[in-house]
Amino acid sequence: MTRLKKRLSLLRSDLGALLRTDSYLKINIILAGVVVIVMAYSGIFSPDTNNYPVVCMHEKILGIKCFSCGLSHSFSLIVRGRIAEAYTWNVYGMQVFLFFLLQLIMRVVFSLIYLTRTENRKQLVIYDAAGSIVIFLIAFYPFFRQIFLEFLYSLK
Amino acid sequence: MEEVKSNSVNNLGIAALITGIITFVLAVIPCVGVIAVIPGIITIVLASVGMSQASRSDSPRGVLIASLIIGVIAVMISFSQIFIFARLAGRHDKWPVDIQSIVDDAKKGVLKDMEDNNVSIKIESNGQKVEINTNAGKEDKVKQLEDLESGKKAQNDTLKKEIKPVKK
Repeated sequence: MTRLKKRLSLLRSDLGALLRTDSYLKINIILAGVVVIVMAYSGIFSPDTNNYPVVCMHEKILGIKCFSCGLSHSFSLIVRGRIAEAYTWNVYGMQVFLFFLLQLIMRVVFSLIYLTRTENRKQLVIYDAAGSIVIFLIAFYPFFRQIFLEFLYSLK
Repeated sequence: MEEVKSNSVNNLGIAALITGIITFVLAVIPCVGVIAVIPGIITIVLASVGMSQASRSDSPRGVLIASLIIGVIAVMISFSQIFIFARLAGRHDKWPVDIQSIVDDAKKGVLKDMEDNNVSIKIESNGQKVEINTNAGKEDKVKQLEDLESGKKAQNDTLKKEIKPVKK
């Protein structure tokens, strides 16, 4: 029992030291925290009371709804399990939400793999970065396309 | 002393990278893309300061370069959003005119349709029913006009009443 306690305390001290010195773990923890904040935001603010603090700049100034309008509503409805309703607010809400969820899972899984591995850590970081970029581009592809098309339209 | 400098460069790199990633995600979302320029500039500043410190202390610059690239791309996307926003706002003054003309056309169309239509109003209260049937009277007016043109006497037309001269 005392040996187990000693091991646990050693692991804790090692982990603490690693968290203080290792950039990758720090970045992972902070990004996971950001994703948790996004999820909490979706959970705290209700689509029924419509009390979201972040408002669309387009709608506020021009009075026109933009491409990403309804994302907050969509996220809140997904968190509450009202998936069909979420699609009515924003069609791309689900894929963006899945991106955030996948990122949260990736941060946890990659951090655990990083901790257990002592070799090829750099390779793991490269895989993580490349995978995250690909997932980001897939999830936000409609947004990139829309921005590009709007940009072309505004040049006319 | 060298270790402290390296540590501060490392922390600057982490801060710049996280700010850059958040800015990039914000810049792509049109609702908040316009304001993403602020954290974008913060990212570039953090990365630049880190780069200058790293060059003095020979620290690794991988994270700083990555965050600088992300920050610059994010700011470019955000600026493109601002550009789109400004162009839309510039055209905005034309839209109400267009909308007004559409509304006016629709109004005229509705009024034209309404002219031939009959209007029926039914009111029911405490078992009593009142029904009012009316129309815009376009057909009556057309008939009246035709009568006037053909020289027929219109009913209730007091102006065209023949006045018999009084014999003295």
